[in-house]
Amino acid sequence: MSQSVAQYLLESRGTHRTLEAFVVAACFDRAGSTAAFALGDGTLRLVTLAERETWNTVEAHDGAVLSLAPDASQTGFISGGDDGRFRRIDQTIADFRSKWVEHVASHPGEKGKGALIACTVGKAIHLYSAAGEKLKELPHPSTVTGLTFDARGKRIAASHYNGASLWFVNAKEDSPRRLEWKGSHTAIAVHPEGDAVVTAMQENALHGWRLSDNQHMRMSGYPAKTEALSFTRNGKWLATSGAESMVLWPFFGGGPMGKAPIELAGGDGVTCTRVAAHPQQEMVAGGFADGLVVLAEVNSSRILPIAPPGQGGVSALAWSPDGSQLAIGSENGFAAIIDLSKR
Amino acid sequence: MANTETEAPGASQVPVTVLTGYLGAGKTTLLNRILTEQHGRKYAVVINEFGELGVDNDLVVDTDEEVFEMNNGCICCTVRGDLIRIVGGLMKRRDKFDGIIIETTGLANPAPVAQTFFVDENVRSKAKLDAIVTVVDAKHLPQRLEDSHEAADQIAFADVIILNKTDLVTSEELAAVENKIRAINRFAVIHRTERAALPIEQVLDRGAFDLKRVLAMAPNFLDNDEHEHNDEVTSVSFEVENSIDPEKFNAWIGALLQEDGPNLLRTKGILSYANDDRRFAFQAVHMIADGDFIGPWKADEPRISRIVFIGRNLNRPRLRRGFEGCAVA
Repeated sequence: MSQSVAQYLLESRGTHRTLEAFVVAACFDRAGSTAAFALGDGTLRLVTLAERETWNTVEAHDGAVLSLAPDASQTGFISGGDDGRFRRIDQTIADFRSKWVEHVASHPGEKGKGALIACTVGKAIHLYSAAGEKLKELPHPSTVTGLTFDARGKRIAASHYNGASLWFVNAKEDSPRRLEWKGSHTAIAVHPEGDAVVTAMQENALHGWRLSDNQHMRMSGYPAKTEALSFTRNGKWLATSGAESMVLWPFFGGGPMGKAPIELAGGDGVTCTRVAAHPQQEMVAGGFADGLVVLAEVNSSRILPIAPPGQGGVSALAWSPDGSQLAIGSENGFAAIIDLSKR
Repeated sequence: MANTETEAPGASQVPVTVLTGYLGAGKTTLLNRILTEQHGRKYAVVINEFGELGVDNDLVVDTDEEVFEMNNGCICCTVRGDLIRIVGGLMKRRDKFDGIIIETTGLANPAPVAQTFFVDENVRSKAKLDAIVTVVDAKHLPQRLEDSHEAADQIAFADVIILNKTDLVTSEELAAVENKIRAINRFAVIHRTERAALPIEQVLDRGAFDLKRVLAMAPNFLDNDEHEHNDEVTSVSFEVENSIDPEKFNAWIGALLQEDGPNLLRTKGILSYANDDRRFAFQAVHMIADGDFIGPWKADEPRISRIVFIGRNLNRPRLRRGFEGCAVA
């Protein structure tokens, strides 16, 4: 039954395409007017929501796109590729030649000031003004594997071997706060209130640091590697992939230390590959290795199937800023935008 | 074209060739031959230094070798984190490559590269180790073996050895150096070359790591059962004619690798399990083991189980007794 619901939603509320390449990432611009899909063939596919049946192709990279984020401004996107380029749609911001640009991030700043864009190349974060002027290069002891700004855009966080580094972007002298834990850390998220940093690790576990008192947090029990980490808007829950359900860790009431996580949308024996917390409400979208995409309400554990299985493992999942649109991409090149706004 | 549903499992995994060898042995020359030869195939090449590679059609990825220890209770389990990321990235454009070639730095220990292909689930599902190819310099190898562990390790790990610069030594010296290689690893295929010239099909797409070759190798009947107490890398192999009991084998090999993994560089075996018509292929790099059925025994093929150990301080009688003890009673 759930499959037919999902098929119905996809057909009645969705626009979708089968593209010829792996969907590496998806996101919406900050205005929420355009969706972008980044593909393994080097292209971006752009869809203006007002004309959602027109999918435009942009030849962004000569190779695979490796990373995608909204630009710091209201419209546009930034991307990194295995051609060594850090790009905007119509402009190469920097060319690192044979090195891959593995992660990109942006922040719009506050009150029109301090808008930033950043990318990672090997062991370094390269930080630029929104205009594309290089501000600084932040070195790490090993390759950067995950990159994110904190909610206010004051700090930028990177995961790497043996921990993570947290940098104040406006510091006069750049010295990071090093968060140490032995092992290979492969993805990173910062709590919306800025007091916790969580990484995913090679050994199918998460590690966290509470910044106020240096308390370590260990979250384990995953059968597979966690590739997606997403805090709910108020920071109450951290949604994660890597298990046969969406796993949500409580970041309240003393948690996650000593608390059990909740599991949503499990039971099919299929690994959850992507999660994306809703930007407004306590809901989480989850994508699975068989292509199924569901929306789960955290408090009621109610599940709404959104896209049926069969389209390839979900490799990209993103909400529009207002939470009315969900973009989905798969390893097989399936891409969709589902309109979940009230009608 | 590719990815038809009739393909055998594993056929969609991209073959990976690891190229090791000391600086100056001829690795870059060999790589250039591979990349410039007209073979109609496309490779992704992972290197550490952007050198003088003649690259037209192929993708070159520049990386820093980043070896880290796994927190999995396995003291010798190190993997290459950079390769995990690179293979993941390349797979997003998978249809464009016929293979991946990884060049390691001159002094690199091959174990972390090999272990990466066993340990990481994402890598395992997308790529498979095809062969470890070691290039050695016929003139300087004896000196290298004196100087360092790594030279012996690189030979021990090799499926294919390119014995290069043969024009710089006499035939007696060549025979002597080949004997030294054989003493370390009697199971690798050795190609003698000048300027690393050989048909590239001798290097790529060997399927060497899938172990089918193990069965074709002559066992060392003439070995005496002496326990060698030294730091030299050697290789031994044993045969059992009776079927193997999988439970006994797993218990024995598991305990052996746990206890002696640091000394056991490579272990490979082809086993005839009781009540199964398929050949079971087993292999390990240090403590990290992997095994799978690789197709049926042929009707006229003797069902002999064979195991090979390459490592240091091999206790031959104990290994022999252990393996023989795995036979069905």
